[in-house]
Amino acid sequence: MVDLATILAGFADAFTLWNLLFVLFGVVVGQFVGAVPGIGPVMAMAIAIPFTFGLDPLPAIAFLVGVNKGGLVGGAVPAVLMNTPGTPDAAATAMDGYPLARDGKPLKATKMALFSSVTGDTFSDLVLITVSAPLAVLALRMGPVEVFALMIFAFAVLSGLIGNSLIKGVIAAALGLLCAMIGSDPENYTPRLLFGYWELFDGLPLASVAIGMLAISEILRRLSQIQGEMKGAIEVRDTGDPNDRRVTWAEYWACRFTMLRGAVIGTILGALPGIGSTAAAFMSYATAKSTSKEPETFGKGNLHGIAAAESANSAVVGSNLIPLLTLGIPGSVGAALIISAFMIHGIQPGPLLFQDQGRLIYGLFGAMIMANILNLWVGQAGLRFWVKVVSAPESIIFASALLLCIVGVSMATGGIFGVAVMLIFAGLGYLMTSYGYSVVIFIISFFLGPRFEVSLSQSLALMNGDWTQIVNYPIALILFVLAAVTTAWFLSRRTPEDPGASVSIED
Amino acid sequence: MKFGLKLAGALAGAVLALASAVNAEEWKPSGTLKLQIGFGAGGSTDTIGRVIAKVMKDQTGWNIIAENKTGGGGVAMFTGISKMPPRGTVIGLGVNMPIMVNLVKRGDQLPFDLNSFDYLGTASRAQLALIARADAPFNTLAEMVEHSKENDGLAIGFGAPPQKLLMEVVNREADAGFRFVSTKGEAETQKLLLGGQVMAGFSSGTHIKYLESGDFKMIAVANDARHDYSPETPTVRESGYGAYVDPYYFFATTAGTDPAALAALTQALDNAINSDEVAKVIQNAAVSNPLNLGPEGTKKMMFDGVENVKVLFGE
Amino acid sequence: MNMKTTADRATGGFFLLFGVLLYFVIIPKYVEVADGAWLMPSTVPNAIAVVLSICGALLMLKPTAHRVQNTREMMFAGLYFTLLAAGLLLMSYVGFVYAAPVLALAVMLLIGERRPFWLLLGVVGLPAGIWWLVAYVLERALP
Repeated sequence: MVDLATILAGFADAFTLWNLLFVLFGVVVGQFVGAVPGIGPVMAMAIAIPFTFGLDPLPAIAFLVGVNKGGLVGGAVPAVLMNTPGTPDAAATAMDGYPLARDGKPLKATKMALFSSVTGDTFSDLVLITVSAPLAVLALRMGPVEVFALMIFAFAVLSGLIGNSLIKGVIAAALGLLCAMIGSDPENYTPRLLFGYWELFDGLPLASVAIGMLAISEILRRLSQIQGEMKGAIEVRDTGDPNDRRVTWAEYWACRFTMLRGAVIGTILGALPGIGSTAAAFMSYATAKSTSKEPETFGKGNLHGIAAAESANSAVVGSNLIPLLTLGIPGSVGAALIISAFMIHGIQPGPLLFQDQGRLIYGLFGAMIMANILNLWVGQAGLRFWVKVVSAPESIIFASALLLCIVGVSMATGGIFGVAVMLIFAGLGYLMTSYGYSVVIFIISFFLGPRFEVSLSQSLALMNGDWTQIVNYPIALILFVLAAVTTAWFLSRRTPEDPGASVSIED
Repeated sequence: MKFGLKLAGALAGAVLALASAVNAEEWKPSGTLKLQIGFGAGGSTDTIGRVIAKVMKDQTGWNIIAENKTGGGGVAMFTGISKMPPRGTVIGLGVNMPIMVNLVKRGDQLPFDLNSFDYLGTASRAQLALIARADAPFNTLAEMVEHSKENDGLAIGFGAPPQKLLMEVVNREADAGFRFVSTKGEAETQKLLLGGQVMAGFSSGTHIKYLESGDFKMIAVANDARHDYSPETPTVRESGYGAYVDPYYFFATTAGTDPAALAALTQALDNAINSDEVAKVIQNAAVSNPLNLGPEGTKKMMFDGVENVKVLFGE
Repeated sequence: MNMKTTADRATGGFFLLFGVLLYFVIIPKYVEVADGAWLMPSTVPNAIAVVLSICGALLMLKPTAHRVQNTREMMFAGLYFTLLAAGLLLMSYVGFVYAAPVLALAVMLLIGERRPFWLLLGVVGLPAGIWWLVAYVLERALP
């Protein structure tokens, strides 16, 4: 265990002006770059890494943590203001954030996203700082069979998002899973469904699919609806009511249980490597919607929807560091980038990290807390800036969003091939929405797909291909039962539409 | 014998590099030199590639950009490089094993073969080890095979096809009954080991901290030679099975590149690889030392390696 | 139940055929058979193909009242899509620096923007700003 003097020395390091400046710089860069359509939080970190080569370890890692946390807040901005999320977890934020922004309350929507993001993040940081060791041991107990059960549970929770048709929801999920099959199979690494394009050997590039489906397809829809009249991409209506421009304490406090639940879901999923913030955001959102007294207001600008999504996806980031710092296992791409930064500075994350580098780690914890506070402060100013930017004419906003998505995806995937894939998925996303198939279900299924198949293969290997051995895995059994109960409960709460109604294609 | 050849290759490379040093100074890339990395951000290959690009830039003054081209462990990137005009402006950094496995397994489908490239050198050799938890009831590969036979099989975590192929050789020769659990890399393998879901697994360096902390122990070395941090651990070959896996980080560019350009690139890479800064990062990221076989040595390593992979496949 | 052609019947039929095509043609041709595996490379894809076909058939039998937006919008979306595809093709030949202003101009004109200030900002300022940020500040490669 680390002694108190080391802990205090570490925190003292974090609060030196020099290190604080790097945290602040990171938060500003992260919020700005993360908010640019097509770039997003992970890309912001990947870009920032080379700039840390020449720094000392603490400012370097403090800077990256700042970028990571700032990027998370920034990532919600295009989702809320333009309905063009760059990552699937922000798509959950868009579901209620965008309707609110469209109603002329963009500042209220983005501020709610900011507050709940910082709340969830702070919660999981505190968990990380205080009880990371026992949680890491718990995460180790979650073997492949348990993770497979958890994936089934996640898919079950997805059924809470299915709209008016169960069949069409299943089709959307199956299509997402099918696209996740492209690349190589998880056991023998044989090329699968490549159609001669070896560039696809690692699977469809995530950035291309997410940005194409979520952002570009929405931009196509908005462009097609413009009727020659030039107006701002978003209108800030002056209603004279100052409450439309801010989140009141009462509104924030009313969401406390939603945010707490989101933070807990995000922290738990973040501590398990490889599940990620997408599942967390949607599980939190679906739960908030189903337990709400007025589920019909979700998707129409309910603050609880924003709070549920943002608190959960931000909580993942802090607890992603639990397996990273205690076991050296990155839980996400962002965490992998932080490992890379550790290694460049000669630090090997793993079992001896707290003993060898205790002071640095507590310095990092201090920097994380400061980054949260700065995020709140910078965010207040930053959000006003972005709302102003998005009030510019649609012509310039959409033209820049398109160019930025092209450049961002090209940087993330290493060339024009990834951009072409993005465009194909933009077309697919547009068609799916037009014909009433949920793009969100598709994308979640696509993101969960690879882990689903790997853990299925691993489970079969561990159980020697014999499913009756599942009785030896009580946690997995509980999760399977929970999945069945959840599915039944969600489906029973759906309001089935009149099956007799059928309308022919309009021309 | 093998090592002698490699040494000869390295020496030959060094001599060639020296001989053309005068010539090399006259050549410089027209525009930006791209160092493409065949793996994603955050891994050991990415880390090594980025620092080499940075040091090369500092040393030569050329404008060098490092970029990731992921896909099939470098297959996608080398596909691109094989189709480019040979202008000496793009270098690829990959790992030999995935390329070789795909060449042996489905060479007829790939748009390139080993002759599609001019080889520039290697950065290092990864030190791949078979490890187990410290409290596992076996200490050597022979004991592990015995344990597996007595207990109706034994689960091994692997993160890349060559590791599985190597253990399949053991399965074939000793009827060990190992079961293979596929993971997304050595970090996940280590998680499964710590959690007790698998009994053994492969790791190429990040396990050394765990050896120090007393969580893991070494069972065997997958390379052809023992590892310097654990000289008492025998290789799989020394344990009586006729196969090994020697993963190298290597550099190559499009075949047919101007010899002056090749000489300049080779020299620039060699200078960067032998710098202290790169050595430090390779020790951190790959837990190995810089090792440049030179152009001829690299080419020989690739051609010999393909023959070895055929052995792994039992061909 | 009437058997009128609805949007759902059309897409249901599409997925029914697509699933069949996947199962019998595409998967056998583009998925390898592995020797010795717990999970064959084709297992999950085949399961997906079956699910798609069954759901497609069910949707044909039980369509919802989904309405597709009007044809004008679909056509405009297709137009913008084609424009983007052409822009990308151009970019792959001449690079971002030359293709981006053309693409920006085309998109803005199609939206209906005629004011010189905004057009100039989109055609000159925007690509220049991106170039400055990506190629100059971040030293990354532009497409």
